[in-house]
Amino acid sequence: MKKNQIKTRDMLLSALSILGLIAVWFLVSNSKPDFFPTPMATIERLIRLIEKPVMKISILGHVLASLKRVVLALIAAIILGVGIGLFMGWNKKVRAAINPILMALRPIPPIAWIPLIILLFGIGEFPKVLLVFIGAFFPIVMNTMSGVALVEDMYLKVGKIYKANTAQMLRHVVFPAAMPAILAGIKIAISSGWMVVVAAEMLSSKSGLGFLINRGRDSYDVALIMVAMILIGVVGALLSAVFTLIERKLCGWMSKE
Amino acid sequence: MSDNSKQISTETANSIQIEAKAKRREARQLLLISTVSVLVFLCLWELAVRAGWIDSKYLCAPTMVVETFLQKLTDPKPDGAVLGVHIITSLRLVLVGYLTAVIIGVPLGLIMGYYHTFDKLVSPIFEIVRPIPPIAWIPLSIIWLGVGTTAKAFIIFLAAFVPCVINSYTGVKLTPVVYLNVAKTSGASNWEVFWTVSRNYAMPLAFTGIQVALGNAWSTLVASELLAATAGLGYMIQQGRSLVRPDVIIVGMLTIGVIGAILTTLLSKLENHVVKWRSRA
Repeated sequence: MKKNQIKTRDMLLSALSILGLIAVWFLVSNSKPDFFPTPMATIERLIRLIEKPVMKISILGHVLASLKRVVLALIAAIILGVGIGLFMGWNKKVRAAINPILMALRPIPPIAWIPLIILLFGIGEFPKVLLVFIGAFFPIVMNTMSGVALVEDMYLKVGKIYKANTAQMLRHVVFPAAMPAILAGIKIAISSGWMVVVAAEMLSSKSGLGFLINRGRDSYDVALIMVAMILIGVVGALLSAVFTLIERKLCGWMSKE
Repeated sequence: MSDNSKQISTETANSIQIEAKAKRREARQLLLISTVSVLVFLCLWELAVRAGWIDSKYLCAPTMVVETFLQKLTDPKPDGAVLGVHIITSLRLVLVGYLTAVIIGVPLGLIMGYYHTFDKLVSPIFEIVRPIPPIAWIPLSIIWLGVGTTAKAFIIFLAAFVPCVINSYTGVKLTPVVYLNVAKTSGASNWEVFWTVSRNYAMPLAFTGIQVALGNAWSTLVASELLAATAGLGYMIQQGRSLVRPDVIIVGMLTIGVIGAILTTLLSKLENHVVKWRSRA
């Protein structure tokens, strides 16, 4: 009974807060609609965007263009990152060989790679995927490495007692034990990759949500900027929600609840 | 009897010595591997450019990077300012946005974590704004705030703000109920419980957030300078691109990396100072 009351009160508060946000948006934008479109103008712009494609690509097409870049880069980053991270965590010599180079490159933000990569590879599809890859690779490799290095000694000893060879050890002991850390790395990689794809598209692209933002800026269409921003937020939130579901499926044994 | 125990103790001492020796040998070996690997990497890079596998117009050799670095220390050409000026411009910008984010974000997160009503009021707005990457705010903030420092600092603020809030919030939420109850039983007021128990308990996690925020702020700085600036490290690499000077780009990138690493190290030193009680536990 009391729990129910608290729940209704919480929902009311949340509704109040969102209504408040919209009210403030309305009040602020009403004075300068060119500068800051009203909520209605933004929704209208969204509807117009659905009806009328930009650059002959429908709105769904732009979303998919961005998603495709992120997914391609993520797949490459997961395969390479988990593979290299496993060996680095497992073998001290491999770690000693690769770590210094990774450590030198890691603090360089992915966005700082943009000029060099454009110089080297132009502005096609590959450089964009490469940029997202750079943003996604480091968190995956780092998390995999520390996940493997932190596998409990007891598990390894049990594996040894059962005379597991290296491949079996990696496959059946180390990999599952490091799974939560790896998934946490992939989660960081997804949000970082999503951010990088927007940045890459804002610098040079003819499709994607980042391109829509730029298009809005170039034609001083502030409503379009806001529509694109909201879409970026929604898709980004969906991506991480989907991944959380996958995470729960893959290692449900980890969650404490 | 005493002879025997003495012998045993020398034996253990011996084995400890042998173990330490083996460890030292291993450490030396690993260091050697690291050095060789870095050298091989640099040689391959140098060779790739010298032998013309990669056009030197698009990528320059490591020796050239060192040369340009030394030159950029004193020479404002070709991008308009010496390296020091770029660094100071960027650092100033980051500090403004970052410190604002910490000063607003950490208390906000703490209060959200402790006061339920406030949490329910603020969380929805926060959750709506959170998934939008700071970079996507750039055009809007340019339209609203112009291309000056304010717009750039605003972007950096957004990047640093989110981890500050979330981590402080989670830290408070994770305070064990036992601690809260002990404080309440001892007659602490609501505010006292918050300030002395929850806030202290949240501090280590909040600090992790502050650290993540610094990384975010630093990488967003580059993004905001890539789009609109007249000086700064992001501007420098952008200029390097328009002038087709890969050496300038790489010097800029490495400087960004090194300064980012230095900032992170400084902050973790500070962390050990501020949350001393954790390192003892």
